Amino acid sequence: MRIFFSVTFVVLLLMSAAIWEMRPPAVVNGKTVLSWVSDDNPMRQGQIKLFNEMNPTDLLQLDPSNGGTEKVIVQSLAGVGPDFFDCYNGFQLSAYVKSGIAWDVTDELEKMGIDVHKQVWKALYPDLELDGRIYGYGTNASADAMWFNKTLFEKAGVPFPTGVKTWQEFVPLAQKLTIRDEDGKAQQFGLLFDWSGSWLQFVDQWGGRLYSEDGTRCTLDSPESVGALSFMHDLIYKYKVTPSPVEEAAMATQGGWGSGTITLFGAGKGAMALGGRWWLCTLRDPKNYKDLRLGAFLCPIGKYYVYRGYGKGTLINKNSPRRKEALKFLAYLASPAYNRLINHQADGVGPLISSVSTPDFLHDPDYPNEDYNMVWRSAMLHAVPEQISPFVNGQAADRIISKQMDLIKDDQKSVEAGLKTIQEQIDEEIHKTIARDPSLRARYRKITGRSV
Amino acid sequence: MRANSRRDLASALGFLLPNFLGFLAFTAGPVLFSLVVSFTNWNLQRTVPFQFTGLANFVDLAHDTQFWLYFVNTGYMMLGMPIAIGGSLFLAILLSQKLRGIVVYRTLFYLPSFTSGVALMILWKALYNPDFGPINALVTDMVRSFHLNVLSHALGGGNIVPPQWLLSTRNILGLEVERVAMGLKQWGLGARDALVIMGIWTGIGGNNMLLYLAALTNIPQELYEAAQIDGAGKWAIFKNVTWPQLAPTTFFIVVMSFIGGLQGGFDQARVMTSGGPAGTTTTLSYYIYTKAFEEFQMGYASAISWVLFIVIFVVTIVNWKFGSKEMNY
Repeated sequence: MRIFFSVTFVVLLLMSAAIWEMRPPAVVNGKTVLSWVSDDNPMRQGQIKLFNEMNPTDLLQLDPSNGGTEKVIVQSLAGVGPDFFDCYNGFQLSAYVKSGIAWDVTDELEKMGIDVHKQVWKALYPDLELDGRIYGYGTNASADAMWFNKTLFEKAGVPFPTGVKTWQEFVPLAQKLTIRDEDGKAQQFGLLFDWSGSWLQFVDQWGGRLYSEDGTRCTLDSPESVGALSFMHDLIYKYKVTPSPVEEAAMATQGGWGSGTITLFGAGKGAMALGGRWWLCTLRDPKNYKDLRLGAFLCPIGKYYVYRGYGKGTLINKNSPRRKEALKFLAYLASPAYNRLINHQADGVGPLISSVSTPDFLHDPDYPNEDYNMVWRSAMLHAVPEQISPFVNGQAADRIISKQMDLIKDDQKSVEAGLKTIQEQIDEEIHKTIARDPSLRARYRKITGRSV
Repeated sequence: MRANSRRDLASALGFLLPNFLGFLAFTAGPVLFSLVVSFTNWNLQRTVPFQFTGLANFVDLAHDTQFWLYFVNTGYMMLGMPIAIGGSLFLAILLSQKLRGIVVYRTLFYLPSFTSGVALMILWKALYNPDFGPINALVTDMVRSFHLNVLSHALGGGNIVPPQWLLSTRNILGLEVERVAMGLKQWGLGARDALVIMGIWTGIGGNNMLLYLAALTNIPQELYEAAQIDGAGKWAIFKNVTWPQLAPTTFFIVVMSFIGGLQGGFDQARVMTSGGPAGTTTTLSYYIYTKAFEEFQMGYASAISWVLFIVIFVVTIVNWKFGSKEMNY
């Protein structure tokens, strides 16, 4: 039996060595292979092609199957990670930095003459910067504006919206465009929006905050946040201009081909919808949306003229043997050519602030009907970054928020009670996280002058 | 040991080796690793020094309201188990009849087992659509045809509203959403029941039916003949011949169903509900996934896994202790 276990051990060792040898080659046809973990967006191939043209000594390859924070961390720690990868929010950045796989490129970018603070949208900072150090460069950015379906406006005899500035002005317009049959079932809604992706924008606009400025507490139970969420709730149950969860589910299969706010809007189930410029990646498709005539205007505001900015950045794997070569990709993201491509593809807007001031962006000759790009420029200029707290795991906070939002949206729990529960549970989670992490304990003590 | 025996042992071990390697690398290794991890604070982050925390994860678990809610959800999802097992037996008895084309029927009823689980779940999601799904269309039709609203009004109730299925937190036991308790406010049919019903449908025509079918063909024919000679009716034959003869199979199915049930719910939560609404379809296996791979609390997730293992182990022992007494064959 001893021999059996010895043989097993040796075979396992040999197999590991064989697998190590089977790693993808680092050089193909004299070109350095760079691996990029990102989603297989239809626009991605064009972005890769341009990089390969601009960098003839490198061969960029997409690896869409190894996305996900946990996969990137585990594979990078094991030495088989990608050369660079996407980062969608501050929580992901913090996880990558704390696990030791995100390369601090502050000094390298400086040497390359790239200044993130001067060039890139503020909305992208949480994806790139942690504790004053820079870990990557923006890939694309977005802020939501209000899409409208010109055909549905014409059918309802409602003029195209101009000068709708506040949500109070918006409600009567949305009511005119909500059509119900004699049983009260909605045939068309005035407004479609993704609750989970938009609630923070309403909170921002009403002057509320998810976390206190220093991130040590959740402040979502403030009167401002209650006001924002109450208005969202009213859009469903008082003004009845946007679908309840049940109506939303009903519409999803009514159309017969998928759900999601974009497809519902594309199918004419809503006259207006809150969404980003990146929706065009789907809505430009002539096969499915031949007759869709789009317009856009700035999202109405509450008390404050702000929009929620979002997007993604690209980080370099600290353990990659090709991390120096990977810097070329960050330079590529900062290039006018890449930004022009992103703006042309409508994959959000380019990470460079200056990229939205070009004539090409405002009036793309290939898409003459898209006369609304000025709207996205204005939205981006007023976009604020997401609120994060270094003291809580973003996914744990999301789990807590999502449960209470389900209950509020479904009218099972009052807005006040739901937000109070979120505040209490996130604060509890903050305390647990601080108790686990000595570096956070020290930081908390420094900020508040007390221990947890 | 003689040379021959030694040679035989070497050949046997040689044949075992490939499987054994896989077992070591992908089962035993990770299982033992997770046991060690469950006593640590491992969370994939370098800012948190890796350290053994003793029973801290298990103590936290005992005070974690979410854990208990999801534990109850896991148990709830197993409510359909007796119906699914009974249904499998009934179906197996029907399909064991000597009829023309019976093979076609057997294949049809086994269909759910070799159809992609994800495809089935998407199909069921459409069936459960509250406004346009065929299930609620049938309910609405029945309410109208049998004038059930009139009856409901006569009894002092309101109009009968079809269930909201996957969008509702209601359930037939009236379990509350945020604490382990029961209340009338949550009484009704909702997401949990939708998954239970789907589980029954999947379970009836699956492997259990196949096991019963195999067991039924193994019952000696002379037992039936003897019973018939004694003048036993169909029910008496089932009760005194078929059922006792199937006891080992039933025992096996019950044990496996308990194990599967306690581990289950992940696919449905991932594909159909994302664990919602408001966490009502989150089971322990889905909770383990979110804790480990979304929140990176590997130590805590491993502790949940080991508690789940202990629960499964205890339930299986109880099954053995009491279930095996019923087996006389």
